[in-house]
Amino acid sequence: MNTSERLNHLMKLRDEAHLGGGQDRIDKQHAKGSMTARERIDMLLDPGSFEEFDMFKTHRCRDFGMDSQVFPGDGVVTGYGTVNGRVVYVFAQDFTVLGGSLSETFAEKICKIMDLAMKNGAPVIGLNDSGGARIQEGIESLAGYTEIFQRNVMASGVVPQISAIFGPCAGGAVYSPALTDFVMMVQNQSYMFLTGPKVVKSVTHEDVTVEELGGAAMHASRSGVSDYAAPSEEAAIEYIKGLLSFMPQNNMDSPPIIPTDDPGTRRSEELNAIIPENPNAAYDMKEVILQTVDNREFLEVKADFAPNIIVGFARYNGMSVGIVANQPAHLSGVLDIDSSVKGARFVRFCDCFNIPIVTFVDVPGFLPGTVQEYGGVIRNGAKILYAFAEATIPKVTVITRKAYGGAYCVMSSKHLRGDINYAWPTAEIAVMGAKGAVGVLYGRQARDEADGKAFLADKEKEYQNTVANPYVAAQRGYIDDIIEPARTRERIVRALQLLQNKRDTNPMKKHGNIPL
Amino acid sequence: MFTKILIANRGEIAVRVIRSCRAMGITTVAVYSEPDFRSQHVLLADEAVLVGTARPGESYLVIERIIEAALSTGCEAIHPGYGFLSENPLFAEKVSAAGLVFIGPPPSVISAMGDKIAAKKLAIAANVPTVPGYSEPVVSLDEALAATATVGFPILLKPAAGGGGKGMRIVERKEEMASALQLCQQETRKSFGDERIFVERYITKPRHIEIQLIADQHGNVVHLGERECSIQRRYQKIVEESPSCALSPELREKMGSLACELARTAGYVNAGTVEFILDEDGSFYFLEMNTRLQVEHPVTELVNGLDLVELQLKVAAGEPLPFTQKDITLKGWAIEVRVCAEDARRGFVPSVGLITRYAEPRGQHVRVDSGVEAGSTISVFYDPMLAKVITWGSNREEARKRMVQALNGYHIEGVSTNIDFANQVLTHPVFISGEISTAFIPTYLPAEDGGPPPSRETLHYMALATTLIYHLRETLVQQSLLPLKSTVGVSSPEKRQFSYVAKSDTDIFPILLENNDGKLQWRIEIEDRSYTVLTPPLEYYRRRLKLTINDESSYFRLKYNGNFIEAAHNGVCRNFEIYNPREWEVAQFMPPPATKKRDNILDCPMPGLVVDVRVKAGERVYRGQELIILESMKMESAVSAPNDGVIETVNVQPGDAVETGSALIHFRKS
Repeated sequence: MNTSERLNHLMKLRDEAHLGGGQDRIDKQHAKGSMTARERIDMLLDPGSFEEFDMFKTHRCRDFGMDSQVFPGDGVVTGYGTVNGRVVYVFAQDFTVLGGSLSETFAEKICKIMDLAMKNGAPVIGLNDSGGARIQEGIESLAGYTEIFQRNVMASGVVPQISAIFGPCAGGAVYSPALTDFVMMVQNQSYMFLTGPKVVKSVTHEDVTVEELGGAAMHASRSGVSDYAAPSEEAAIEYIKGLLSFMPQNNMDSPPIIPTDDPGTRRSEELNAIIPENPNAAYDMKEVILQTVDNREFLEVKADFAPNIIVGFARYNGMSVGIVANQPAHLSGVLDIDSSVKGARFVRFCDCFNIPIVTFVDVPGFLPGTVQEYGGVIRNGAKILYAFAEATIPKVTVITRKAYGGAYCVMSSKHLRGDINYAWPTAEIAVMGAKGAVGVLYGRQARDEADGKAFLADKEKEYQNTVANPYVAAQRGYIDDIIEPARTRERIVRALQLLQNKRDTNPMKKHGNIPL
Repeated sequence: MFTKILIANRGEIAVRVIRSCRAMGITTVAVYSEPDFRSQHVLLADEAVLVGTARPGESYLVIERIIEAALSTGCEAIHPGYGFLSENPLFAEKVSAAGLVFIGPPPSVISAMGDKIAAKKLAIAANVPTVPGYSEPVVSLDEALAATATVGFPILLKPAAGGGGKGMRIVERKEEMASALQLCQQETRKSFGDERIFVERYITKPRHIEIQLIADQHGNVVHLGERECSIQRRYQKIVEESPSCALSPELREKMGSLACELARTAGYVNAGTVEFILDEDGSFYFLEMNTRLQVEHPVTELVNGLDLVELQLKVAAGEPLPFTQKDITLKGWAIEVRVCAEDARRGFVPSVGLITRYAEPRGQHVRVDSGVEAGSTISVFYDPMLAKVITWGSNREEARKRMVQALNGYHIEGVSTNIDFANQVLTHPVFISGEISTAFIPTYLPAEDGGPPPSRETLHYMALATTLIYHLRETLVQQSLLPLKSTVGVSSPEKRQFSYVAKSDTDIFPILLENNDGKLQWRIEIEDRSYTVLTPPLEYYRRRLKLTINDESSYFRLKYNGNFIEAAHNGVCRNFEIYNPREWEVAQFMPPPATKKRDNILDCPMPGLVVDVRVKAGERVYRGQELIILESMKMESAVSAPNDGVIETVNVQPGDAVETGSALIHFRKS
């Protein structure tokens, strides 16, 4: 071969590699309305920024006819590129090559970029579309999976890891995404489960469809495995870009700042009117969030799962923050098993990556009942308590209305190293609501009174005036200030400014023992 | 002149009256109901008195409490505004009896004009034409034909029994009478067991024209020109203008002087309005007289350069009118749009809630009379009208264009409004031509079809506005991430040209942006057209955007909605999705967005007690509508509809205890 022949040969090999499993399979993928692995990468990364690794790597299996099915790249496209100018490492599983099944070499390719991402402190994005382990390989494939899991765990809290599921994801394959920080799924297209419907049927005689068992909608609303059920692949990719824009490159970095024209001092008169006159009526906490953040922009995470707590990202005067808020419009904003776990995981993510937390509190307590107690609301409720207590990032809290009992303590209170705790004049901070408290305190006495009802109503009013307000807490210093709701944005922006260089540490230890 | 008056009203009109009083140095007292305690009229008035609870019947309509409030605060007069007690003769009487001045006509005139028959008699006495009709029902063909002699064709046959247009028939010529009468009688016999028919003149394409007049206590009556209020939806006026395209100076003079004559005959004092129907051929007929200030009075004020509230106060204080009829000339053109909290996409049902964002249009010759602000709560108890926008121009087209841009820049969030619908009216070619009638909305903008297809230019404007905003935001994100960018690596030269594809529904626009000065000046190519665009220094927290496109200012309302940018402009409201060329290429392979599977069972989200059931079987409900109120955790919270649908059965009633997962409501399968 002379030089030009050598060059042509390279070009030919590259073209071959770009075709993955071949044009037929690409067409099939398109006919399904799906993109190929490379197209997904194209959509995610800045144009022309992708650098590919291991394009010529092939598997080593020679059994079961695999020696005739050798594709350059072996079913996964790996490399790095930029998203809005920031370096990210990315792998995209290619369903057109042997159904995207994972081989030893496939895993090696993924491990290689994960190692690089760790070394260089940049996020890892996994675009999953794989039928599972490559059965022909057996233990080598399992070993490959486990190598990836180990790296997922090592990278956890060091660099952000984001997964998108674009197709089936079954068995061991689900654990790698499950170990990452955020998981996106596409409606009616992606599935995640440990055992498929057929096995379920043969073992438990349960009849269940794929969609019901592990569809995007199910995981986004019931199991909480997925953070976002995207209506399309494109929406899932946009969501990844959105998430990234709030995150730093790694745990030693600070999150990016987006300059804004939205004045830090902007007032929101609406907030002076948002708390209903009836203390038991609901209102939409999301409106409080939208009113105070920059440009009304809020990227909600796990919106459909445990909607009684809201978590997500927003900015205050350009600064990235994580927002945790009780939602009185759903289940009265009560804390239960799911909402505690949802809140806890989000707080811990923000703590890992130096993203301050702003908490809006309107919580009547923990949800009572056998379902909750049997399900371990104690153990699970402890998680959010643990997460807030452990977090060393700046913590700003605003109590808008109810903060009752244990739930008060949990929601980033002063006593859990809350840095700045504000309350609206409408706040009621107490052990329990007026009615309940008076029932406990005066229930017996009321029975002896001539007009028990009036007596209780009277006592209720007394309780309301003496206890269920923010002033008692403010007198003790548990609340730093009672603020005008319209000025909430300005006060939060100032609080974050004050906390910009906060340094706080936990005692040296291997790791804490969160009640899992 | 008075030194202190009470305003027995709320909302926009109360604010309007307070403004004039302030300018005249009169102290004002507002009245309010409990939920209105922080309304604008309460805050603006010098004093405010609580008169009761939310329901008007328990507050704004309680005559004794209003008068008591006026007396206790030392007021000399009461301005009733419009609606509520403004046309209640008993109220006017009691106000006078209490030694206060009622700012309006004498009670006897209010009651005479409030009575249809008495009003018609007065009109006839003043030689004002009334709708020709035979006052007795007819049964036979001979009687019917005899009636036509006085009524004239075309004729409307109207069954004496029933209503709602049932069995009505139009007869164009004499020959058609026999068969039409027979059919009409057959139908009414079948439906109502009655065969009596009214014979009335049928007015084709009627216009609603009204004459504003003002009379003092010294016998002077002056009319201030007409207003055309033909743009109505279910008898609710939406767009009003003055003058009217349909009136010649002679006709104006004729209608005006007849209206004045009627006022003199009735012994009318203060501001009032005589309403007419105007036929295609220029004949007009008396409809009724409104004995109060009307909602649409500002258009008359703008073309006359007068303050009607000021005049009302002066007349009520006994002063003579400061002008005579010959001083009155109409200058230019004024248009008013009523902005109401209603959902045009859902059959104009009232929309209630908290106004979360609010920004009024401003500018020369743009006037906004409003009674709300950000944070106001719109409740079910009162009129859904939030504000009125009035624009003036030296001619109709100028006023119209100004209105379209004013509405494009009117930004209200939290409740749905009819702003986009009003702009569909204002940009409709038939409205622009002025050939309007009360049939305009049912004919050209029936609710079902969501309006006429938008013009190419409007879509181009919207596409370029959304693409520009998208581009600028993306650039901003990239710039903010510069510190994180690796300092080593390839760099590419700065680009000046950017191509995108904007997609909205089935419309796809390839767009090329070219920046001219590195900042605010752009040349934008869409399809085969080129536009020069000047952007202001952008403030992304604002939702309205002003762009100078081809040297003309255009306003847009924009809102980020997931991947979409929602844009509203010239009455068109659309979602746009912006792609860069590579994204557009691969987007072809995307599956169509998944539509959410409809659930036909509403599960109970939590254990609790049913407090209230707000719907019945068979009712149509909309996504997010509150269906059932549960009490749990000593808190009331609503269970709302997961999607649009029709209720099949409601399985619970107030007082029931429910568990998580129990089926509350079944929806009809569709």
